[in-house]
Amino acid sequence: MIPEPVRALLFYLCAGLALAGGCWVAFARNIVHSAFALLATFAGVAGLYAFLSADFLAVVQLMIYVGGVLVLILFALMLTSRIEEARVSNPTIGLVPGAVVLIAVSALLVYACVKEFGGTTDLPPGEPTTAGIGDALLSRYVLPFEVISVLLLAVLLGAVTIAGGRLRKPAPGGKPGKERP
Amino acid sequence: MLPDLAGLRGGAAILPELVLTGTVFAVLVLDLALRRSARRGRVLLLVTCLGLAAAATAIAGVSAGAQPLFYGMLVADGFALFVKGVVIAAAVVGAILAALSPEIRRDQLGEYLILLVCLTLGMCLLAGARNLLMLYLALELVSLPSYILAGFRHGDRRSSEAALKYVVFGAAASGLMLFGFSLLYGLAGTLDLPGIGAAVVARGLQGGLDAQLLVVVAVLLSLAGFAYKVAAVPFHMWCPDVYEGAPTPFVAFLSVAPKAAGFAALLRFFLSGFGAPLGFPAPGEFPWPFVLGVLAMATMTVGNLAAITQDNVKRLLAYSSIAHAGYLLMAVAVGSPLAIRGVLLYLPIYLLMNMGAFLVVMAVHDATGSETVDGFRGLGARAPYLAVVMAVFLFSLTGIPPLAGFIGKFFLFAAALQTKSMFFYAVAVVGVVNSVISLYYYARIVRACFLEKPADAQAPVRVGSPAAALLGALAVPTLVLGIWWGPLLGVVEKALLLPR
Amino acid sequence: MEVGLTHYLLLAAAVFLVGMVGFIVRRNTLIMLMCVELMLSAANLVFVAFSRELGDEAGHVFVLMNFAVAAAEVAIGLAILMEIFRRRRSVDADDLNTLME
Repeated sequence: MIPEPVRALLFYLCAGLALAGGCWVAFARNIVHSAFALLATFAGVAGLYAFLSADFLAVVQLMIYVGGVLVLILFALMLTSRIEEARVSNPTIGLVPGAVVLIAVSALLVYACVKEFGGTTDLPPGEPTTAGIGDALLSRYVLPFEVISVLLLAVLLGAVTIAGGRLRKPAPGGKPGKERP
Repeated sequence: MLPDLAGLRGGAAILPELVLTGTVFAVLVLDLALRRSARRGRVLLLVTCLGLAAAATAIAGVSAGAQPLFYGMLVADGFALFVKGVVIAAAVVGAILAALSPEIRRDQLGEYLILLVCLTLGMCLLAGARNLLMLYLALELVSLPSYILAGFRHGDRRSSEAALKYVVFGAAASGLMLFGFSLLYGLAGTLDLPGIGAAVVARGLQGGLDAQLLVVVAVLLSLAGFAYKVAAVPFHMWCPDVYEGAPTPFVAFLSVAPKAAGFAALLRFFLSGFGAPLGFPAPGEFPWPFVLGVLAMATMTVGNLAAITQDNVKRLLAYSSIAHAGYLLMAVAVGSPLAIRGVLLYLPIYLLMNMGAFLVVMAVHDATGSETVDGFRGLGARAPYLAVVMAVFLFSLTGIPPLAGFIGKFFLFAAALQTKSMFFYAVAVVGVVNSVISLYYYARIVRACFLEKPADAQAPVRVGSPAAALLGALAVPTLVLGIWWGPLLGVVEKALLLPR
Repeated sequence: MEVGLTHYLLLAAAVFLVGMVGFIVRRNTLIMLMCVELMLSAANLVFVAFSRELGDEAGHVFVLMNFAVAAAEVAIGLAILMEIFRRRRSVDADDLNTLME
């Protein structure tokens, strides 16, 4: 068992990573910095999942977000604009209304959270969750599980259709099936 | 250990959804198999329509009941079945419109139809969802294909831009909704709507602002997702841009079906989930009727005022659809049985008149290349049939007496007046004033059709016989339901008889 | 220095708000999409925290589903973005004004 001060230190490390990364994503002037800061946020959140003994979700978070989503965003970034252009086309405007919204809503949300859950400090001890999730997916949540497969099919088809518009002449040896002859 | 399989009983109740899924795969396989065939488009349309018709038949065969299905994910009560019928009817019209329109490339019709059926499946699930996870997934199954279909006019910059705006703001709206859902999950300890409703009501009885604050924040955040789907203020900004940029056959569908399913989900979220609020809440209860009523007033006013200045007919109809969302929101705010009856009655009527109006816009655009009000000038002489049915649809949208739109609006307003509360009297007055404003811009199109000469000598506008037949099929019920609405009302009442 | 549920909720609220403000303030579509990812991560964190507190796996399942949905959303958004960018050299939301009147 890890001693309490070390646990707290690790928590604040992950939390700080997530929050600082988030701020950097939202307010960095350089879009490439934003994308890499997102990596920090995802890693921090994955650490927090591990802290909450959601071991399976932590691993999946790393695989899907860092390995999938982030790489996708970086590809889009590299393909759409050079770094210099990104700097120009990326101004921070409307900072004052943004700050007002931030202060107003955060005050409300923080007040409500503290009022509501301020008393509970101790979490029950964690158990490995993978088996529980597997059981749930095949019993209680079997219908959502099936629905999401249809959703992914539709998205796969749609993404191919959007991209396919320009693939009139497929390169030899390219992905067969969807390209237009 | 084998999981408990008892919850899987009642699979017959999701037969319509299973048929729709089967249709998706049938069209997918046929689309690939017939890649070289000249008759591919016709075969795909036929299969899609047959699949949708089979799903509609399956709905008629489902015995409605309020018992939860699939471990409480879904419910197949009369309310859900009625909404499913409406969205499947809209999907049939939407599929035919796509096949008629030159805006959808022939070689992409298969993909279009597949995504359309996926979307319909999502709406059917949305109408019956009684669990937050199911609700969220169904909403995304409606949203994600919509984003793709909005950008389906290839090579058209407006279409891609519309799709991009739709997806970026849609993602943000679902982010807000998800945060609200996560707070509700924590507050209630369950994802089931009735369980959440019970927890929220118990919290309301505790009284005091502190106990209610987090619930209010969570519900307002959740509301964002629904408001985006039905294009209610303040999440209506995407609507005119997407309607203008997206292909017209898809806009005709988008303006009716997701709105119907969104309102069904919203009603279930507030009524089945939160205990039925009737009229104005007592002190200590949550002010949902007040919040929704204010949103309704804002939505109809913004929609109608913005519509006045529009020259593009698709943008004009976009603002008009925002205004209609406002009228429906008024009934959701009331939440009485009479109001639910009004909403259910309004949905098929709205389907008829709005899809009809968009079909005329599509025909005029295909013939003249114009989507502006000026393009309608002299339509009465160039295509009398089109001009007359357009007048029927537009006056019905206004809510002028012998037409179906009047009956729909009558029941909505009657529900508001029945509450006998000052607040809903005020909402109803705002609604009536808005209807008068809407007459101005609807009549502008009709005046352009009949009283204005075309700018230059233009050839007569020709309508193909399938489009003409479809127009007739939409216009005749719009006329008949205005005089003889008894049977439709009977169906609605039968659907609502069962306990929800 | 006990770390409890409140800490997680406050952190999630903070990340959520940063994402929301970023979404409002920034005009670059890619950054707006990244800010949405922040909002979704915050919601996921709340789900997992409550799931632990309640000892209930429903929150975990919701988060798992949400991973798939979020990835799909990003895939579609980026596909449309690339489609637009093929013709124009900017992904600024203020430049998307062909539709404005």
